[in-house]
Amino acid sequence: MNTSFINIFLVFLKIGCLLLGGGYVIVPLLQSELVDKRKWITKEELIDFYALGQCVPGLIAANTAIFIGYKLRGKTGAIVTLLGLTIPPFLAIILLASILTELAKSTLMNNIFWGVNIAIIILIFLTVKEVWNTSIVDKFTLFVFILMFILSIIGVSPALLIIFAAVLGIVWKKRKEGRR
Amino acid sequence: MKLYFLLYFEFFKIGLFSLGGGYATLPFLYHMSEQYHWFSPVELTQMLAISSITPGPVGLNVATYAGFKTAGIIGSIIATSAIMMPSYFMVVMISKMLKKFRNNFFVESALYALRPATAAMIGAVSIRLFKDCAIRSMAFNSFSFAKITSFLDIKAIVLIICLFIFSFYYKKDPLIFLLIGAVAGIIMHIL
Repeated sequence: MNTSFINIFLVFLKIGCLLLGGGYVIVPLLQSELVDKRKWITKEELIDFYALGQCVPGLIAANTAIFIGYKLRGKTGAIVTLLGLTIPPFLAIILLASILTELAKSTLMNNIFWGVNIAIIILIFLTVKEVWNTSIVDKFTLFVFILMFILSIIGVSPALLIIFAAVLGIVWKKRKEGRR
Repeated sequence: MKLYFLLYFEFFKIGLFSLGGGYATLPFLYHMSEQYHWFSPVELTQMLAISSITPGPVGLNVATYAGFKTAGIIGSIIATSAIMMPSYFMVVMISKMLKKFRNNFFVESALYALRPATAAMIGAVSIRLFKDCAIRSMAFNSFSFAKITSFLDIKAIVLIICLFIFSFYYKKDPLIFLLIGAVAGIIMHIL
């Protein structure tokens, strides 16, 4: 499938519709739609974009989409992915605005989304397994994984962790260079 | 007209200063509800529940809702585009630099450590979501050691294990997982 604006838009429109339970599910969705099915970006690129998306202010799902849009088709591409991603949530709120409070109280809806949220946990977990293979390549990367996992669990801000990790990587490689 | 500018300005500010995504927007939104009364703190709490049943990140949903409530469709378009605007410009700027410096030593070594860090952070999110689902918030004064089922959501744990086993055999389309989750949510609450 070629990366025409209309194709990009439709793919991100689909992702926008499926972006349930907050923004986290964007990674498994992008992995399936862009990496596996269409091969528009590589697994490494997806991880890089998601990592960088966390250091930029704003909504991470949107940041990631803008990175990918820019990579595929420049500035216009970035607008296209952003629009595709935003329109479904936007319409959902507008159309449901008058009944939203009743909807949130509905037992049926809550039961459905109880199950959907559990499915999302599994999807995120599967992504971690996937990412593991491409990102944990030696002892140092394993060390970074464990350290960041612990810091993340105890509640250190993601933005801080990202900066910390970047510095760690640079210091480590610099030392290795120096030894040579 | 003044309202439009104010809406734009306030949501632009959230887009510019909320770092870390997801719930990082919440403190800003609470502050906003106190300052402008575009929506009440109670409504904001309801929006959190609503955000879990409509697509999209919480911040985006609240922007759309608050804009719509204060100034109709135009208001919602203004608020939504305002919260996205800082992201757009910054990401485009970084992308340009990335293109230039992709093979730069610093960028390369930073990304080398950023990949495992990202994996770890996504992993931590799944643990946190699991905890929220499987462990019921308990009131400590009424807590008894008698029954483990009083604070563990057995149904949630069963569904997680089933989906986990299913994932060994099928991993193509996330949509299938979401659908199974939705159907299981209905069925398991009838049983």
